[in-house]
Amino acid sequence: MVQTMIIMKCYEHKQYKNGLKFAKQILSNPKFSEHGETLAMKGLTLNCLGRKEEAYDYVRRGLEVTSLVMSYQERFDLTRWHVYGLLQRSDRKYDEAIKCYRNALKWDKDNIQILRDLSLLQIQMRDLEGYKDTRYQLFALRPTQRASWIGFALSYHMLKDYDMALKILEEFRKTQSKRPYDYEHSELLLYQNMVMREAGQYEKALNHLDLYEEQICDRQSLLEKRAQLYLQLKRHKEAEQVYRELIQRNPENLSYYHGLEQAAQSSSSEERLKLCQELQSLYPRAHCPKRIAFQCTKEQNMLHGKTSLRTVFNGKLSFLLICILRSCCVGEQFRSHVDPYLRRSLRKGVPPLFVEMRHFYEDPDKVKVLEELVEGYAESLVQRGTFSADTEEPEPITALLWTYYYLGQHYDHLGDHTRALHYINTAIDHTPTLIELFVAKAKIFKVLLHQTNEGCMTLNNLCAQHAGNIQEGVKWLEEAQGLDTADRYINSKCAKYMLRANLVKEAEEMCSKFTREGVSAMENLNEMQCMWFQTECAAAFQRLGKYGDSLKKCHEVDRHFSEIIEDQFDFHTYCMRKMTLEAYVGLIRLEDVLRGHNFYMKAAKTAIEVYLKLFDHPLADSNTIQETNTGLLIE
Amino acid sequence: MSPSQDAVQPTETEDKAQEQAPPPPKPDKLDMRGFIPGYVRCGGTKELGEVTSHNIRLLKRLNQVIFPVSYNDKFYKDVLEAGELAKLAYYNDIVVGAVCCRVDTSDPTQRRLYIMTLGCLGAYRRLGIGTIMLDHVLKYVQRDGNFDSIFLHVQVNNDVAIEFYKKFGFEVIETKKHYYKRIEPADAHVLQKTLRPKIPSTQQNGVVERSRS
Repeated sequence: MVQTMIIMKCYEHKQYKNGLKFAKQILSNPKFSEHGETLAMKGLTLNCLGRKEEAYDYVRRGLEVTSLVMSYQERFDLTRWHVYGLLQRSDRKYDEAIKCYRNALKWDKDNIQILRDLSLLQIQMRDLEGYKDTRYQLFALRPTQRASWIGFALSYHMLKDYDMALKILEEFRKTQSKRPYDYEHSELLLYQNMVMREAGQYEKALNHLDLYEEQICDRQSLLEKRAQLYLQLKRHKEAEQVYRELIQRNPENLSYYHGLEQAAQSSSSEERLKLCQELQSLYPRAHCPKRIAFQCTKEQNMLHGKTSLRTVFNGKLSFLLICILRSCCVGEQFRSHVDPYLRRSLRKGVPPLFVEMRHFYEDPDKVKVLEELVEGYAESLVQRGTFSADTEEPEPITALLWTYYYLGQHYDHLGDHTRALHYINTAIDHTPTLIELFVAKAKIFKVLLHQTNEGCMTLNNLCAQHAGNIQEGVKWLEEAQGLDTADRYINSKCAKYMLRANLVKEAEEMCSKFTREGVSAMENLNEMQCMWFQTECAAAFQRLGKYGDSLKKCHEVDRHFSEIIEDQFDFHTYCMRKMTLEAYVGLIRLEDVLRGHNFYMKAAKTAIEVYLKLFDHPLADSNTIQETNTGLLIE
Repeated sequence: MSPSQDAVQPTETEDKAQEQAPPPPKPDKLDMRGFIPGYVRCGGTKELGEVTSHNIRLLKRLNQVIFPVSYNDKFYKDVLEAGELAKLAYYNDIVVGAVCCRVDTSDPTQRRLYIMTLGCLGAYRRLGIGTIMLDHVLKYVQRDGNFDSIFLHVQVNNDVAIEFYKKFGFEVIETKKHYYKRIEPADAHVLQKTLRPKIPSTQQNGVVERSRS
């Protein structure tokens, strides 16, 4: 049947309309009106045009019909099973699709296309043994193709058979001719190196890096790997050198500092401090940080994200170094280091200063030092406009404001809400236009709510004063939001507080200021996979007893995760082609643990609670039956 | 808002020269007097920014805090259309002041600029923020070139404000009894800076004449 083959060609070239035309031609001939292969192909083509129901109908008919031309039986069965498999795959029924392919292979076990499709499904379903067998067959059939080698090696790597994987990769590498700046080859070499490292062959991996240094285009990756290997091989001097080079390349990567610390083997706090001081003197002279700092001050985003980068460059002692310092300084030493840093940040007005400092709050002694310092600043700023009595330089008026802001957050963190409120209110009296203050105020009220829930008796008086605390929090965040309606962070924060206060409708309206016009905000948020909203929303519905709505949200979240897992399907072919194998392996491993993500856990917890509740207390009256049904139907 | 002692020397001499032969004072030469040292000392940045529908609530909040009178919704609606005539003042990236003006054509023979509000939060006074706002207004009318005068109302007991405006060449031309409805004292001075005197011989005369009429 030559025409049927033409339809297949049309399908492969995505000329669906043409394919349908040919199919119609064949089927309109009464002799072939029940021709199985053509029916199947027509079904597949229809599927691609989005006509699902018709598609299944045709494919099934194609499978059921006994062909009139018996001599072609085998070929027909093959094609029909393959087509049915493709259809199942497009419906994401991967297990079914694998069965179809296996059936198809019964008729032609060396069909490259079917084997290739099968291998994709196997890796998607993590049938690693099956994947290895399929890749082996493909390799044996097409040893000249690059993908055959890579896939073959990858299948062994996935099964942790490193020796075999390395053997294949090495043989393959030998066949590659050298071209200048070949990024794909560079990626191959880095992948080879990755397998070596995972096999624990550090010495070999290091030599491998040295040998192919010229051919590896990704310099940063090369250096990072080399530094790691030196560390693993306990060649600390060399590791230190590489880490210093890396810090010079990018002084923003905290892991380089940790690496350097390990390499320098500075175990005692004094040694570590010395290293810090050395970097501190080395660091501000670098040209790059200054330039980035300049760019960053231009950033509009005052509140979040970029500000941490901003603060990093804020003076001689960077935040990164502060982080390192936190574990090695105590008492007076700590005070002398943190004091200038605090002053600089308060002078400049760094909103997340407290967030940075929160790291120190595990240690009561450090908390005491911080409290003394900042209280001292406030007092001195009020009296004489300086941070302390012994300094002449007056500070900008805003320094006092930021000092109050810090103290508010400080006492809030320590649970002293009265004092926290006092400072925040003082700050608001001082400058009623600083949005951060209202966010901080809202947070104090939110915390109050949580503590009442936990039955914290000592706070009862205070809570009575500020009855309806989360509502109070919402009120202050709405205030903040109103002051800058173009600020999406505040907008989201406000919506979140509203959800905490079970104000779902209001939260949706709040979000709608930033969602696409013409679509309901709920729909758009779902489309954008906005999961903080959906998990909070599910919890709010749960508290409101709207179990159906709550489950609906939970299942939406679950669907996002399914989608992310399904989205990896395209990468099985794409990464193999682009040779980005290290990243590909990373992706596969990420997908394996994807549902461990916090959002999934939250949604799952809510769903479980709701289902248990409904099981233990089935809803009886007519109004609620409908409600439960919606929830259960989704399942 | 008197000039501070460490005012920049050259400006002083220039002022004296102006006093001897009085041409109309040039606002942009005068305005920074006394405030430059403050600027350097505290290391703060001062900028003006637009009023938009996103931050209009900041303006409302400021006006609530700064002024004893409250403004209606129409005021804020008009401000959004005012363009350069309404500005927020930022100190170290925080909104601390605002200025709002409108073109006044109640007298058909004259085109005047009316300063509806100009104010700064208490904690941020004497930093030169009022100056950059007024400077902005003066530059605006200068660029426009078609204004006869700038005027505003001030509560009679607001000495600081009166001093401030006088420094920029404003003068009290009239006192309106019971101008304010709900605050004490209810009387207001009308302060005016003449840009295009009716009798072009000297500026002084022009002002005096108008205040009599």
